[in-house]
Parts: sequence; structure tokens; C-alpha cells
Amino acid sequence: MRTFLEFQPQNNDLDMVRLERLQIKMANRQASICSQRALLYTESFKKTTEDPYILRKAKAFCHTLKNMTIYIEEDSLIFGNQASSNFAAPIFPEYSIDWILDELDGRNGATAFDKRSGDVFLCSEKVKKDLYSIASFWQGHTHEDEVQSHLSHTIRQASKQGVLHLGGISMSGDGHIVPNHPMILQKGFRALIQEASQKIRQEGLTSQQNDFYQAVIISLEGALHFFKRYAALLKTLANREQDPKRKEELNQMSCMAADLMEGPVRSFWEGCEAVYMIHLLQMIESNGHSFCYGRFDQYMWNLYQKDLQKKVLTKEKALEIITHMFLMNSSQNKVRPYGHTKFSQGYPLYSNLVIGGYRPDGKDGTNELSYLCIEAMNLTALAEPNFSMRYNKQTPDSLIRLAAKLIRTGCGMPSMFNDEVAVKALIDIGIMKEDALDYCPIGCVETGVPGKYGHRATGMTYVNWGKVLEIVLYHGKDPKTGIQLLDLQKEDYQNMDQLWQAWKQALRFYSDLAVESDAVCDASLEIYDADPFASCLIDNSMKLGKTLKAGGCKYDVISQSNIGPSIVGNSLMAIQKLIFDDRVLTWSQLYEAMETNWQGVQGMRVRKLVMNVPKFGNDEDEVDAWVKKVFDSYLELLPNYKTLRTGKGPEVSCYTMSTSNITSYVPNGFDVGATPDGRLAGSPLNEGCSPTQGTDTHGPTAVINSVSKLPNDKVAAGQLLNMRFAPGALAGDENLDKFVAFLKVSVLKGIYHNQFNVLSSETLRKAQKDPENYKDLIVRVAGYCAQFISLMPEAQEAIIARTENEW
Amino acid sequence: MEGFISNLQRYSTKDGPGIRTSVFCMGCNLRCVWCANPELLERNIKGMYYKQRCAGCGACVRMYPNAITFTDSGCVIDRSQNLDWQSLVDVCPKDAYEIKGQMVTPQELMNQLIRDKEFYEVSQGGVTFSGGEAGLQASFVKESARLLHQHGIHVALDTAANIPWKDLADLLKEIDLVLLDIKAIDSKIHQHCTGADNALILENARRMADLKKPLWIRLVIVPGWNDDLADIRSRFQFVKSLGDCVERVDVLKLHHLGASKYEQLGLEYRLDPQIQCKQELIQAIQAIAQEEKVEIHIEN
Repeated sequence: MRTFLEFQPQNNDLDMVRLERLQIKMANRQASICSQRALLYTESFKKTTEDPYILRKAKAFCHTLKNMTIYIEEDSLIFGNQASSNFAAPIFPEYSIDWILDELDGRNGATAFDKRSGDVFLCSEKVKKDLYSIASFWQGHTHEDEVQSHLSHTIRQASKQGVLHLGGISMSGDGHIVPNHPMILQKGFRALIQEASQKIRQEGLTSQQNDFYQAVIISLEGALHFFKRYAALLKTLANREQDPKRKEELNQMSCMAADLMEGPVRSFWEGCEAVYMIHLLQMIESNGHSFCYGRFDQYMWNLYQKDLQKKVLTKEKALEIITHMFLMNSSQNKVRPYGHTKFSQGYPLYSNLVIGGYRPDGKDGTNELSYLCIEAMNLTALAEPNFSMRYNKQTPDSLIRLAAKLIRTGCGMPSMFNDEVAVKALIDIGIMKEDALDYCPIGCVETGVPGKYGHRATGMTYVNWGKVLEIVLYHGKDPKTGIQLLDLQKEDYQNMDQLWQAWKQALRFYSDLAVESDAVCDASLEIYDADPFASCLIDNSMKLGKTLKAGGCKYDVISQSNIGPSIVGNSLMAIQKLIFDDRVLTWSQLYEAMETNWQGVQGMRVRKLVMNVPKFGNDEDEVDAWVKKVFDSYLELLPNYKTLRTGKGPEVSCYTMSTSNITSYVPNGFDVGATPDGRLAGSPLNEGCSPTQGTDTHGPTAVINSVSKLPNDKVAAGQLLNMRFAPGALAGDENLDKFVAFLKVSVLKGIYHNQFNVLSSETLRKAQKDPENYKDLIVRVAGYCAQFISLMPEAQEAIIARTENEW
Repeated sequence: MEGFISNLQRYSTKDGPGIRTSVFCMGCNLRCVWCANPELLERNIKGMYYKQRCAGCGACVRMYPNAITFTDSGCVIDRSQNLDWQSLVDVCPKDAYEIKGQMVTPQELMNQLIRDKEFYEVSQGGVTFSGGEAGLQASFVKESARLLHQHGIHVALDTAANIPWKDLADLLKEIDLVLLDIKAIDSKIHQHCTGADNALILENARRMADLKKPLWIRLVIVPGWNDDLADIRSRFQFVKSLGDCVERVDVLKLHHLGASKYEQLGLEYRLDPQIQCKQELIQAIQAIAQEEKVEIHIEN
């Protein structure tokens, strides 16, 4: 039986037996592929060849909502399904099709969906047949085809080198948005339809605006129709139901569905249902990910309070509803190409939900729902929603303490965001103060303003800094592929200044290239990811009459993901100390040792020298300063970069920085040879701004001190720090208090974000050997959580390699 | 003035309240059979050899062919010979050799300790001087504590109190909290377990109580050595007699976490690694504590 962290139920409104059944069902679910959406979209697209693309998308969305299979999850108080069965991933052929065909049966050297080493998907023969049957309609006409036809030779070569990785944005939708939930709960969809209809009647609309408003109407009508289908199904089930309690619930749910979003939301329960549906609908419209809930405890607070006052809700019932809503997130899924899956292991959807933090008026917004959400996440004990907490100098200790208790269970959540740094970072790039105070995580650690940000606070092109460093060391040429795209000083670097200039030159070259590749993807997404449903829920799309990608968002702040700053800083420190300061090593000795991957007597001797040079994460000022300098070298470049939407509508439009890098630090390491910090060839790069795995030996306070020296408040799209504590270090009340103090100091020291795994290496090793018995083991991967056993072996190893703080 | 320490442990959670940094001082005048920090017993440089790290390259054997021999289970070191450990540390490519022990001035130490000042403040923690026997370096510890106090940092002394009262009394002027180990009341048991008499220890404990020094009493329990229930009762009675200055009593169960260090130091571990505090023993101790009206904390 699951237990609470602190909650003490006063009545029987929370049915734990049923909750447990639902939890077990979701924990043991099996991923599969569903062909329904693909078939329905194809059917619709075939009939709309003359329409503008945005209308074709809207009509196909509507057609799907009217015809796809719907079902009610037994035991659940929340309804709504994304595909034809639990945890089935729909297919989105308009974004990309070739990889799907390859992976259905493992053709052209691809690994079949059901033969993967991680993130396996079952695929029935019927589904395969369905998908093969529509293939020719889409081949050559997808987002991916559009992107590929515009990528320059240089970008392709840089991808071959392993410096750039286009991944998600080159073959799927964009996602990474948070609707304006308070507005939707207050208005409903009907009011938005009326707004769009009025707009259409206005004079002087451009065809783009006209198409957008038409598309909004079609999409929202489709959504309302979708809800009414549930109303009918629920009614049928209610009539058949024998159990009086469930019968009553099904009747209530049916009434709820019949009028859902026709007007303002009428109850807390309906509010939970509405935000869940909005989430789900976005995930039928587009196959981006990181469709987020934002500040759930804030926008649900009024509904909660009113229902308590009216005595139509109890705390216990609210906890049950929230937990069901959380659990239902695990019914959704997304399938990615296997190559991209390596960058984001563990079936992640990154559906972030955050509690706590300042309100727009600058006061702390912690409320009773903040506490209930932590309890609900404890009962959920799964990887979704990606649960986060904002905290600041005013956050009550009791909330931090409850969060610490959840962290202590080892599930890796909540991930902790420091308001003092995140808010400042946003204000500094031009976000209005009240909006900055209202920020939320969007996906992993990337942050933005809910209801006002366009897509992709982060995760445009991924740039492998480990590889950039290697190319610098080899004077412009990638030693692995032999590809050379830029000329750097040909002879050995004679001093640190020459080396640093080469780094800056190479970083600029590849960052420029990454921005160019972002633009190629963005231009194509503007067409193929036209998302009237998602866009109309975010300011100022309805006002401007355009999708977010076309410039409809109030704030257009994007970033790439840069991987490996600690590796670069540590390497520069080692070179400075050993080659230039102490002169105990020559360049040729270093190259020879790295090329043998530190083997042999000489290789071991050199590795010993480099390993003994101070490493980032130990509160050693000199090396910490190097890592900071590496950050600064990138931050300097940002003012030069513009997005495609600059000047087309957004009030703020710019690039910023993020170290949110999901599991990409593992595969990015595969391509990089041994580095001067002593890292072995092919091993992972460091994760986010965390110290390189296992090199932080002075305990967690030293890590915090080191990270506090970085320009955290300039990394406005999120700075990722991941730490691991041994379970014993948090056991008992006293250790918990110490951990709470540790978190509070992280706020004072300006740490942007911190997340924790509280698991022993022993447990993780056991889980590797006996996966069947560790299905419930959820670990913090990199800004999100995943079932440990679903990760590929290299990602599992990288998690075990994180320093375990056991004091 | 310099002190002899082995290392600092940051985010130390077991040596007093809050988040602390523990300073491990070298040198001790007891020889407890269960000692978990054997590298701290003597006040001199200690060479450690970690055989798991050894690659068997033979570099150290070539340096000291008469003192080091390579076997299937790693290097065997004849420590009776005069070895330059620093040269072993330098020659080994895999860092299988390490040196424990360094001289630091109070100011140098302070510069390190102050790095975690915010953590001490928010958690109401501080610095703990431990060992070894920190009291044997009383003037160094006192001066370091004085510097820490200038920055408002709380200072605890972890001691067995087997040092002359005048040294201890002087040191206590700069100490906020004493973590006092009491290993046995019966002098024979004490002698047997630690190689030293306990008259001075108990006398010092009473004097500290007279000074109203805040005390945290720590009672380590080692089956077969100091688990005599009658003596344990006497320990509780003694603790009770110290009065209100005793803020807390911890019963520490034997652990063998230090066992591998004996091998690394070329020393023999005198305890049977199988022995551990059984649940019945702990329950018996809890019962006695209850009868003697002493509130205890037992770490799991």
C-alpha cells in the first residue's frame, strides 16, 4: 500500500485501493505504435490539397478528433486518450516518414522498434500495414524533406563531425510551450471561437490572418466535438455500471464532458480535466514534446478554494483527483527515431508541472495545493508529469521540507528552481518584471513565461563543445572523420592566449552555423508545424492573427543546447598548468597519451598528471574560473544572433543560453576522443553545468560553491545541475533538516536549478542485473525523470558514474 | 604555529548539529580496538596503499626492490624499511599510493573552512575538530577556533578527554560544544578496549559539567568489548550525574567502515569483521536507558 509523506486523511474520499490499481497499471504499461492518427490525417489531407497548409492541418486535426477511437480508463476520474490504447504513440507523418518506414521492420540498416536496447515499442502487423499503405502519400513532402533540402553542405559536414545535432527540430514538431491556463479556465473554447469569428469579420485582414482565425475555429470546434463524444461514451458506461459510486462518478464526468470548455470551468475537478485535455490535444496536434502544465497550484487555487467553501470538495478528494490526473499523463507517448532516442532516453514527454514560487506581485505564492501536489507526485511515483518546484527566500520551510521528503524517496523530483536567479535572468533579457516573476519550467530546466512564450526556450540545435575542443586541439580538423571546416593556427599553441583565441574562433564558427541551422528548421516548422490549436492559447496569437512560429508569441526567446562546458574548462586548466605553467608535459606527449586513450606506461603517467590537476566542482577558484570563462565566451556571441521572428510581432525576440541537454551528453561523448582533462575516449561529456562525472570529490557544498561562480543569471533558458546523494545522507529527520538547509543555501548562492538522485550505486547495479524487479525505479536523467531500466546501458552507466555524496 | 591534520570533510552530518566541516587532527593517546580512523593514530605522515587501484606496473617495485614485492594480491610493502612515500606517490601512474597528513597554520585552515560559512549559518552547523585526539593539539585548535569565532562560526570539539585538565580547560574557552566519547566506566574494561585508564577522562567530564559546557555524549557499543550491560547502565548513570549540560546522548553502533584502511596502512584489524550490534542488544540498551531516564538517539 502506498503511503503519504505527511498527509493525514480525515475521511474516506480518497480511494487508495483504486489509486493503487491505476498506478500499477501505468507503471507496467507497454509502449506500442498506433496508426490511427496517421490514417486519419492522410484521409483528410487527400481531400484538402487546394487549401493553405494551416487549414489542412486544422481540418485533419478536427477530422481525427471526430473519428479516432476514444475510451475511458477504468478506475480513473480523468478521461481523455491520445491514441487508441494506453501508452500507444501516434504517428505524425507530416513531420517525417522515412525513419518510420525503416524502423517498422528494421530496413536499411535500422533497428526495428521492438528490437531497441532502450525505449522499445511494440508494433502489430496491422499497424505496419497501415503505415506502409500511406507512405507514398507523404514521402518527399514532409517537414524533414523541407529541412534537408535547405541544409548547407557545411552544416551537413559539421553534423558528420559530431559537432551539431539537429535531432528533434529537423524531423518533428516543436512543442515546448505552456498555454495561458488562467485565461482558458476563465473563458473556455467557445469564447475563443467567437473571438476568432469576430476577427474574421473585421476589414483589412491579411490572408495569413484570415487563414489563422479559420484554422482556430476549425480546431476548437473539433475539440468541443471531441469532448461531446466522451460525454456520450461516459453516459453509456454509466448506464451499464453496477457499482453505485462509480455510476455516479461516470454520470458526473458525462455532464462535465458535455459542456466542457463551452464556458468558464465550473469546478476544481473540471479544471483538472480541462488542463489535462488541453495537454492531450496539443499532443494530438503536434509531435513536439514538453507541452507543459505550468503553475498548476497557482491557476487552480481559486477553483479549489471555492469548491472547499461550497463544500463540494474535500482536501482528500482534491488529492485523489490531482493524483489521477498525474497518473493519466503516463498513458501518453511519443516515438522518436532511434538515433534521436539516444539523446532523450526513457520515453520522456517532459510535461512539466511546477509548484511554488513568487506570484506576479512579488509575494510568495505557496498555497495548500502546493503541498497536495507534492503528495500527489509521491503517490504517482512515475516519471510524468515532470514535477518541479520554484523556491525563493520567502518559501516556507515546511514546503521545502515536504519537497525534500519526496526527493528522499529517490524519484528525482521535484527539480528545484531558484526564483532569485531565474527571475533576474529573464528581466535581464527584457521580460517584464511581473511576467518574469510568473515564469515556469518548460520541459526540463528551460524556463519561460507561461502563456506568453513561443516554442523552444531551449533545444534548438545541439552543439557538442567536447568535439569543438577536440577540433581546436587538432588545429581545425576533426581527428575522427578527417573533416576540416575552419582554419586555425597550424603550429602548436605557444601559450594559453593562442589556444584561447582558437577556442573562441571555433566556438563562433560552430555557433554561427548552429544559428543558421536553427533558421532552416524554424522556417520549415512555421509551415509544417502550424498549430492553430496550441497557438490560440498563447498571447498574442489571437490578437496578431498568426501562429507562434509566425511571430504570434509575446516573447520569442530561444536557445540551443551546449554540451560539455566542464570538460572544456577542466581541459584548459590542465593544459595551462602542465604545459605552460609547470612545463612538465609537452604537446606531443599529451597528444600521444590521448591518442592511445591513456594506455601504456607513458599514457598512464600522463593521465595521472592531468587527473591531479584541479577539476571543476571542488571549489577550486582557478579551474572554476576557467569554466566560467568558457560560459562567457558563448554568452558574448549571443547579442549577434536573431531569430526568424525578430520584428514580426514578438515584444522580445532574442537568443539566450541553456545547458539543458537531456541525455545528449552520453551519445555526444561517443564521438569525442580522450580529452586533456583525463576523460576517456567515447565516455560521456559532463551533464549541464554539473561537474564531470566522478571528479567532484569534496562533497556537495563544494559543488554548490563551484557552480555559484558561473554566470548563472545570464543562462536565461535554464542551467542544469544534477547531484547524487546516498540514501543514508538524507535518512532521518536531522539529515533531512540539513538537506533543507543545503537547498536554502543553494538559493542564497545563486544556483539556478538543482536536481537530485538519492540512490546508491548498489541499488542501480542491482536494477541493471534484475530489471524485472526494478520497474518502479525512477531516476533523474537530465532535467527529467525516467524509468531506470528503460534507459540504454550507456545512459545507465553515466548515472552510476555521478559522484555519490554520502556524508 | 602549525597543526597536523589529515583532511577536511565537508557536508559532514555526523559530528554535531547542522552542516559541518570536520577537521581530522592526527595523533591519539588511546588505542581503541574498533578505531575507524587508524591513519590518525600517530602524528606523522602516513603512507596508504590502495591495491584496487594498482595496475601491477612494477614502477614502485623497481624503486624499492628490497622493500616492495609484487604478489597476486597486489604489492606487499615492508614498512620497517626507510621509504620515501612521496617518491612512491610520484612514481605510481594509478595513484595507488597516497599520503595522509599535512601541516597547516590556523589561518590556512580558516581560509578553507570559511568557504562553507553560509551552509553553517543556515543549517546552524559549524566546524568540528575531530581526530585522532584533537585535544592533543590544543593550542592549534584553540587558535583556529578563535579565528572561526571572529566570523561567527560555531565550533565543536570531538574528544575522548584523555588530556591534562589545564590543556583542556584552556581550549574549552574557544569551544561551543563538546562531543565527548565515553567508552566504559569500569577501568578494566576501558583499559582492555583502549589501552588506557579512564580516571582522567571521567574526571574531565565532571569538570566540564561543572563549567556548564554543552555536552553531546557519544557511547560507542562494540559487542564482545564494551557491551557489558552493567557497565552500560553505569555509563547512563554517569551521564545522568553530569546534569543539564548534557544536551544529547548518542548510542553509536559499531561499524567496520574503517577496516579497509588497516590494510591500506599495512596494519592488522583486530576486530572480527563479522561482529555487529544485534537488535536484542540495542533493545536491552534502550530498556536500560529508559530505566535510568536518559533519552538516547540511535543511528540506524
